[in-house]
Amino acid sequence: MRYNHVTLDIVEELKKIVGPKNVFSDEEKMEAYSHDETNAAEYGHMPEVVVTPTTAEEISQIVKLANRELIPITPRGAGSGLSGGAIPIFGGILLSVEKMNRVLDIDYGNMMITTETGIVTNEINNIIKEKGLFYAGYPMSLETCYLGGNIAENAGGGKAVKYGVTGKYIMGMELVTPTGDIVNLGGKLSKDVTGYDLKQLIVGSEGTLGIVTKATIRLTGLPTAKSTLLVLYKTPKDAIDTVPVIMAKGTIPVSMEFMDKLSVQTACEYLNESLPYQQAGAMLLIEVDGTNQEQVELDAEAVGDLCMENGAIEVYVADNYTTQERIWSVRRNIAEAFKVVSPIQSLEDIVVPISAIPDIIPELDRLSEKYDIKIPCYGHAGDGNLHATLVKNPDHTLEHWHDIEAKALRELYQITKKLGGKISGEHGIGVKRKKYMLENMDPVELSLMKGIKMAWDPNYIMNPGKMFDIE
Amino acid sequence: MNIIIPIKQVPETSNVKMDKETGTMIREGVVSVINPLDLYAIEAGIQLKEQFGGKVTVFTMGPQAATKALKEAIAMGCDEGILISDRKFAGADTWATSYTLSEAIKHIGEYDLVIAGERATDGDTGQVGPGIAAWLDIPLATYVSKIDEVTKDSITVERLVEDGYQILQMPLPALLTVIKEISNPRLPTLRGKKKARVSEVPVMSAEDLKLEESYIGLKGSPTKVVKIGYPKVTRGGKIVKAAGDEGVNEAVEGLIKFLEAKELI
Repeated sequence: MRYNHVTLDIVEELKKIVGPKNVFSDEEKMEAYSHDETNAAEYGHMPEVVVTPTTAEEISQIVKLANRELIPITPRGAGSGLSGGAIPIFGGILLSVEKMNRVLDIDYGNMMITTETGIVTNEINNIIKEKGLFYAGYPMSLETCYLGGNIAENAGGGKAVKYGVTGKYIMGMELVTPTGDIVNLGGKLSKDVTGYDLKQLIVGSEGTLGIVTKATIRLTGLPTAKSTLLVLYKTPKDAIDTVPVIMAKGTIPVSMEFMDKLSVQTACEYLNESLPYQQAGAMLLIEVDGTNQEQVELDAEAVGDLCMENGAIEVYVADNYTTQERIWSVRRNIAEAFKVVSPIQSLEDIVVPISAIPDIIPELDRLSEKYDIKIPCYGHAGDGNLHATLVKNPDHTLEHWHDIEAKALRELYQITKKLGGKISGEHGIGVKRKKYMLENMDPVELSLMKGIKMAWDPNYIMNPGKMFDIE
Repeated sequence: MNIIIPIKQVPETSNVKMDKETGTMIREGVVSVINPLDLYAIEAGIQLKEQFGGKVTVFTMGPQAATKALKEAIAMGCDEGILISDRKFAGADTWATSYTLSEAIKHIGEYDLVIAGERATDGDTGQVGPGIAAWLDIPLATYVSKIDEVTKDSITVERLVEDGYQILQMPLPALLTVIKEISNPRLPTLRGKKKARVSEVPVMSAEDLKLEESYIGLKGSPTKVVKIGYPKVTRGGKIVKAAGDEGVNEAVEGLIKFLEAKELI
C-alpha cells in the first residue's frame, strides 16, 4: 500500500487541530520518537511529524485527516516497548499520548479508577496507595511505561502468576477508532455479555485497532505484607520442577521468577553483588504477599519447605525492604547487565505451558552450543513466560550475527511451538516478530485477524505494518 | 571467640518522611530494619565465629518491636539476641546510649571482641561505638576494613584513613567499628529464620543492669537539640524564553551577558 507524505499544508492543518505547540517536525526532537527499546539501528524509523494531542476529539480529527489523506498514524505511549509496536515504520504521523495523563475519576465504591492513557503506570498506585487500594498490573518497566502502552500490549510482568495480566483489570475504555469515531466500550460492570467483548479485543491489539484515550481499571486491596525467597538449585530442571508443586499446594505466590546461572552471574557482576551463585545452576525468586506480615512469613516458609523437599540446596528469606530490594535488583538488572556484555541481542519472551519449561532448557543449551552464542534464560516461571535472550558473541561479525539470529530464532520458535507454546507472552509481535508469527500461526487464525483489521481500518492507516501485513 | 555486636533498628530509608513543623523524623507507621551498616558488623562477627569457633551475641536498645531486628540477626547466624528495653532509656543521646550499652555488655558476660557498625543511618553520628569502648576502657579501632590476624590475645586490623590504610595490632578484648569493605552480608536462610522464630530473646531493664539513673535516657543526655532546620536552597533556575529567530538572538545575547556578569565566560 502506498501512503502519501505529510506536506506542509497537512502540518498546518494538524497545528490547527492541536495547537502549534503540540506539533513538531524537527529531526532532533523527532529522533526520540523513532525507536522504542528494541535496537534502534535495526528497527528504528523516523516519523514525518509528531503530534501530542490532549483530547479524544483532537485525536478523532487527526485520524479523520489521516484517512482523507492516506497518511499512516502510529500511536505511542512511553516508548518502552520491546517489539517495535510504537515505531512509525512508514513515517507519517506519530501520535503520542504523553500529554493525556489526567486522573479523571477515583471511584472507591466500585474500586475503580478512570484515567487518561498517557499516565505512568506506577503513578496510579502512588495515587491510590493511601486509600489502601492497588492496581495489580505490573510490567517490569512500571516506572516509565504508560497505561496506554500496557493496554495496547496487554502487558504482563512479574506478578502475573497471582494477579494476571493487564487485560484482567481493564473494565472500560474510550477509543478513537481507525476511522476517527469515538466510542465507549465496557464500563464499570463485573458482568457484561451485551454483544462482543470489544474492549478485550482492543487489549493487546498493539494500536492496530484504534487509540485508547481513557480507561477504567479495576483495583484490588493493597497487599501490605510480603516475604521473598531466593531459592538455589543445582540444575534449572530442579528449579522448574518445583514450580507446579508449589502451585498445587495452595499458596499462590505473587511472583515466581526463574534465573539461570549465566543470568544471575552476569547481573551480580554488573551490580557488584555477592550472592552465592557459584554453587547454583539456577535460582527461583518467589514472593508471597498478603495483608498480615506474620501470616505471609508463615506462608513463605511453607513454600520454602516445599522447595527444600524438592531438591533446593538453599533457601534465603527476605522479609524486609533491604534484603528484598537486594534480591529483586538482581532479577531486574539481568537485561541491563547483558546490554553491557553485548549491546546487540534479541530479547525474547516465549511462552510455554508451565509443565513444558524443563523441556525447553536443554534445547536452549543445544542452540547456544550450535550457534556459539550465549542464551541466558530468565523470566516468569510461574506462568511459563521465559526471556530466553540471544546475545551476540562479541567475536562474531554483525553480518554473521544477523544470519545466526534469524536461524536460532526460527529454531527456538519451532521448539516452542512443538511444546505447545507461542512466540510472545508479553512483549508482542510489533515489527520484530512479524515474519515469525506468520510462520507459526494457523493460517485460518491469521486470516480471521486480518479480516478484523480490514473491517475496522479500511484505509489501513492505523499503526500499519505491525503484527501482520495486509498485502 | 566470644563476640558481642550492638545493633540498631532504623527506619527503612526509602520511606523516611520529615515533620516539617518540628524538623524531626516521623517514626510512626514507618517500617524499621536493621541499620544497614550494622549488617557488615554482623557478617564480620559470624565469619570470625565460623573461623575460630565461639559465640556471637547481638543486642540492641529499643522498644519491644526491636526484637524483630534481633531475630533477623539470629536468622543470619548469630547465636543469641538480647533486648535492652526500658521507658527510662527514651531520649538518650550518644553519651547516655553508649553508657547503657557498655553496662549491658558487662552483664552479657565474657567477651573477646565487640564489633559495631560504622554509624547508624538515622542519627549519622558514629559516636556510639567509640563511646562504648571508652566506657569499657578497651582498645578501639574505627573504620576497620579488614581483619588481618587474630591470635589468642590480640587482633590485627586494617583501618581506612584519608590517605590509605593503617594497620593496628591491639590486645583483646577490643572494639571495632567496621565499614562496608569488611564483608558482604549474607541473607538469612530458611533454617535460620526457623531457629530465630523459636529462640527466646531475653529483655534487660535499667533495674536489671543496675544503672545510674542520672546517666540514662533524656535526663542523662548532655546533648540538647536546640533547633533543627532545613538548609535553604540557594540554587535558582531561570528559564529564558525565545520565540522565532529574533527571539533566539535576543535570548542568546541575554545569556552571554548573564554569563559574562558571573565571570563564567
